[in-house]
Amino acid sequence: MFQIIKNEWRFLVRSRIFVIISIAFVSILVLSVFLGNYQIHKQNQTYQNAKDHLRQQWVSLEEVNPHSAAHYGTYVFKPSNLLSSLDEGVNSVTGNVLRVEGHVQNEITHSEASQMQAVSRFGKLKPSLLLQYIVPLLLIFLAFNSVSNEKQSGRLKLLVLQGARPLQIILSKTLSVWLYGVLLLTFILLVYGILNFENLTTEIISRTLLFFLTYCAYYFIISGLTVFFSARWQNATLALTSMLGIWILWTLFLPNILMSSAEKWYPLPSRNEFKSAMSEDRSKGIDGHNPSDKRGLVLKEKVLKKYGVDSLSQLPINFDGMRMQADEEYGNIVWDKHFGNNRDVLKQQKESFQLGGIVNPFISLQNTSMGFMASDNLHHQEFLLQVENYRRVFIKMLNDKQTFGGSKTGNWSWKEDNNFYKSVPDFDFKPTQISVVILNYLMDLVLLLIWSILTLVLIIFGTKKIKIV
Amino acid sequence: MRSLHIFLYEWKHFVRSPFKIVALCLFIVASIYGLQNGADLYEKQHLEIKKINQKVTDKKDEIVLYFEKGEKGPKSKPWIDLSTPFWAIYNTPTYHYKKARPAIVYNIGQAEHYGFYKSIDIYSSPYDADMAKEIANPERIQSGTLDFAFVVLFLLPLLLLILLYNIKGQEAEQGFLPLVIVQTGSKNWWLISRTAFYTLLLLVTLFGLLFYGAMLTPIFETDATFWQVFLWAAIYLMFWVFIYFLILKYAKNTVSNTLQMIGIWLLFAFIIPAAVQQWISIEKPINLMIDIIDTKRDKTDDIYNQSNQLTDKQLFNLYPSLKQTEIAIDSVGIKNARRRSISALINSAMKNTTAKIELDNQSRNALISKTYWFNPLTYFQNKLNHLSGTHYDNYQDYRNDIQDLIDKRIEIMVLDIWNDVSVDKAKYLKYNTTLSNND
Repeated sequence: MFQIIKNEWRFLVRSRIFVIISIAFVSILVLSVFLGNYQIHKQNQTYQNAKDHLRQQWVSLEEVNPHSAAHYGTYVFKPSNLLSSLDEGVNSVTGNVLRVEGHVQNEITHSEASQMQAVSRFGKLKPSLLLQYIVPLLLIFLAFNSVSNEKQSGRLKLLVLQGARPLQIILSKTLSVWLYGVLLLTFILLVYGILNFENLTTEIISRTLLFFLTYCAYYFIISGLTVFFSARWQNATLALTSMLGIWILWTLFLPNILMSSAEKWYPLPSRNEFKSAMSEDRSKGIDGHNPSDKRGLVLKEKVLKKYGVDSLSQLPINFDGMRMQADEEYGNIVWDKHFGNNRDVLKQQKESFQLGGIVNPFISLQNTSMGFMASDNLHHQEFLLQVENYRRVFIKMLNDKQTFGGSKTGNWSWKEDNNFYKSVPDFDFKPTQISVVILNYLMDLVLLLIWSILTLVLIIFGTKKIKIV
Repeated sequence: MRSLHIFLYEWKHFVRSPFKIVALCLFIVASIYGLQNGADLYEKQHLEIKKINQKVTDKKDEIVLYFEKGEKGPKSKPWIDLSTPFWAIYNTPTYHYKKARPAIVYNIGQAEHYGFYKSIDIYSSPYDADMAKEIANPERIQSGTLDFAFVVLFLLPLLLLILLYNIKGQEAEQGFLPLVIVQTGSKNWWLISRTAFYTLLLLVTLFGLLFYGAMLTPIFETDATFWQVFLWAAIYLMFWVFIYFLILKYAKNTVSNTLQMIGIWLLFAFIIPAAVQQWISIEKPINLMIDIIDTKRDKTDDIYNQSNQLTDKQLFNLYPSLKQTEIAIDSVGIKNARRRSISALINSAMKNTTAKIELDNQSRNALISKTYWFNPLTYFQNKLNHLSGTHYDNYQDYRNDIQDLIDKRIEIMVLDIWNDVSVDKAKYLKYNTTLSNND
C-alpha cells in the first residue's frame, strides 16, 4: 500500500499543472495566514488604544459622586484573539462596543459589517475560507479520475495482476489524495505557528490541534467519497459532477437552509418584544431613582428597623445607595431571566443545526472550526456574560461606596475622590478555555468520526464489486 | 431554420439529462425558499412597525388624558409639567422607521446588520445603542440568509455550469465534433445556439421566479423595481454566459471545461471578494467609536460646565431668533430656558462627530467601489442591495433622516421654550404630527 501511495505522489509531482496549481495555492494560503495575522495585530492595537484611552478617562475622574460615576460608566470593547486569524467566525457581524453603566444592560453595537457596504458573502480571506471551501474542491479535482483513469488505461488490471488487491489500490489512492490536503493544512498551521511563536500557549496549541484533526477527518471524507465514485463509475465526468453536486449541496445549499430553518423552529423574540418584556418585569421591582416608589418604601422600613432608627436622616449610611443597589439586583434577576431565555433559544438553534451534521459533515466542520478558534456564538455569549458580570461588580462597588462611604441619605452632592475610582478594576477578559466548552462540540466531533468510518466502510464494501476494466 | 433545429434538439438533450433537470429543480426550490425568506422578513418588519405604532398611540393617549383632566403629569412624578414645551416634547413618543421595500423579497442585503426603527428624543443620535440590529443568531447572520439574491449571485453561475459543462466537450470526446460541424456549417453558430437555449431557459426561469416573488409582496404597486431586478439578473446571467461561452469555445474536453468554469466561479465568488474584504479591514480598521464616546461624555460635561455667556452665544448662533425673545432679557427666566436648551449644543457637537465617522465609512465604501472592475460579484450584490433598499447608503439615508428629526425636535422645543409657549392638548397633538415624518 505504501508503494502505491509513493507511486501516486511520484505521478503527481511529475505533473507540471499539479505543481503550478499547488505553488499558486500554497502562496494564497500563506498570504491568507500572513494577512489574517497582520489584520488581527492591527485590530488588537486599535483595541488596546481604545481600552487604554477609556481607562485613562476613568482613572482621571476628579471628585465626583459615585452614582454620577455609574452614569458616566465605561465601555468594553470586544477583543480579537490570535486564533481568529485562522477562522474569524461571527466576529465581523457581532458588535464590538458595549456600554457599561448603572440601571441598564446595553446591547453590543457597531459591528464591522455595519460600517461598510457588502463585500464578501463568505467573510475575509482567512485560512478557514480556503480550507473549508477551496481545499476540498482541490481534493475532488485530484481524485475524481484517480481510479477511472487507471481503468481506462488498463493500469488497474496490471496492478491487480501484480498482486495488489482492488481495496488496497482504492484505499491507497484515497490516502494519497487525503495526504495532499493534510500537507496543506500542516503547512498552514506551521506558518501560523512560526508567525505567532512567541504567543503560543497550551490553550492555543490544543485548540489548533483539534482544528487540525477535524479538518483531517473532513478531508478524508471528501477524498474517500470522490475516489469511491471514481471507482464505481466508468465515467470520470460523472464522478466529477456527482462530487461537485455534493460539494454545492454541502457547502452552499444545506448550511444556509438549515441555519435559517433552525431560526424559524426556535424563534428569538424581536428586540421590541424583548425590551418591552424586560421593562415590564423591571417595573415590578424597585425604582432606584424614585424615593416614593412603593417597593422602595418597603425596603426603607426594613432598613430603618434593622438599624433601629425612625428616619433616614438618623441612619449611619446613605439609603439612596442601598436603594440603587436593590434596583440593580432586581434588574440583574430580570436580565438573567430574559437573556437566559435568549441563550436557551440560541442553544436550541445550535443543537438542531449541529444535527444537520448527520446529512452534511461540512456543518460539523464549520461548527468545530469556529468553536475551536474561539470565534463562534458560544464564545461570543461567554464574552457578553463576562461583561455583564463585570458590570455587576463595577456598579456594586459604586453603589456600596454611595451607601457606606460616609455620606448621608439625600446628599447627592457628596463626592468621592480620585483614589477610589483608581481602585475600581478595569474589565479583564478571560478567554474561555477549551476544556470548559469542549462538550458543546462533542456532537460535531462524533458526527465527523461517524462520517469518516462510514466513508471507510463504503470504500471497503462498496468497491468489492468494481469492474477492473 | 438550422438554428431552430439546434435549439429544439437541445431541448431533447435537456429533458433526457436527469442531472440537469435535478439541478434546475434544486435551483427553483432554493429560489422559492429564498423568496419566502425575503417575504417573511418584509412581513416581520411591517408587523413590528405596526406593534410599535400601537405603543406610540397608547403613550400619546395616556398623555392626552392628562391634558383632558387638567393635570400637569403623573402624580408620582411631580417634577413633570406637561404644559411646558420641554416636558410636552419629552413625552411626545416619536419613532422613525426604515420601512422594508417590497423588493426586499428578492434581496435581504444588509437589512439584518441594522435596526429598522428608532425612538427619537432630544438626546438621541443616529449612533445610539437602540440602532442595534434585531436579535438574531450571529452564526446565521454570518453565513447569510438564503435569499433570492444569494441564489442568483452564487447558485445561478453553478446551474449554468451544470447546464453547459458538457457542450462541445462530449462531442469532442466521442469523436463526432467534425460531423457536427459538417451538419451545422459553423461550430461557433452551433455553440451559440446551444448556449442560447440554456440562456433562454434560465431567463424564463428567472422571470417566473421573480414573478412568483412579486406575488408575495406588493412590488408592482410601488415602482419599476421588478423590471430593474429582472434587468440586472439578466445582465448578470449574460456576464456568466459570456465567460462560459469563451471557455467552451477554447476548451478541449468536458473535464477541462468544468475545471475552468469552477475555477473562474471560485475566483469571482470567493477569492476576490474575500481578499478585498481582508484588504479593506487592514487599510481601514474597524472604528470603535471613541470619538462618539468622548463627545457623549467629556464633551457633554464640558458643555454643561461652560460659562453662561458661552452657552448663550452658541445658542444664539444656532437659533438667531432667540435673541429677540422676552426670555433672553429676563435674567430669571433665561436660566431655566438655557438649561433646557443645552441638548441643542450637545446635538450640535454629536453631529460634528458623527460626520467624521460617516466620512470614514464613506472612504471605506469608496475603496470597495474601486475594486468593482475586477470584483463583479460585489458590484452586482451592491446593485441589488440598492434596488431593494438594503444597501449601506439606504441606511445612511435613514440615519440622516433620524438626524433631521432630532434637529427639528430640538429646534421646535428651544424656540417654544424661549418664546414661553404654553402647551395645551391641541399643541401637544400638533407636536405629535410635526415631530414625526412617518406616514
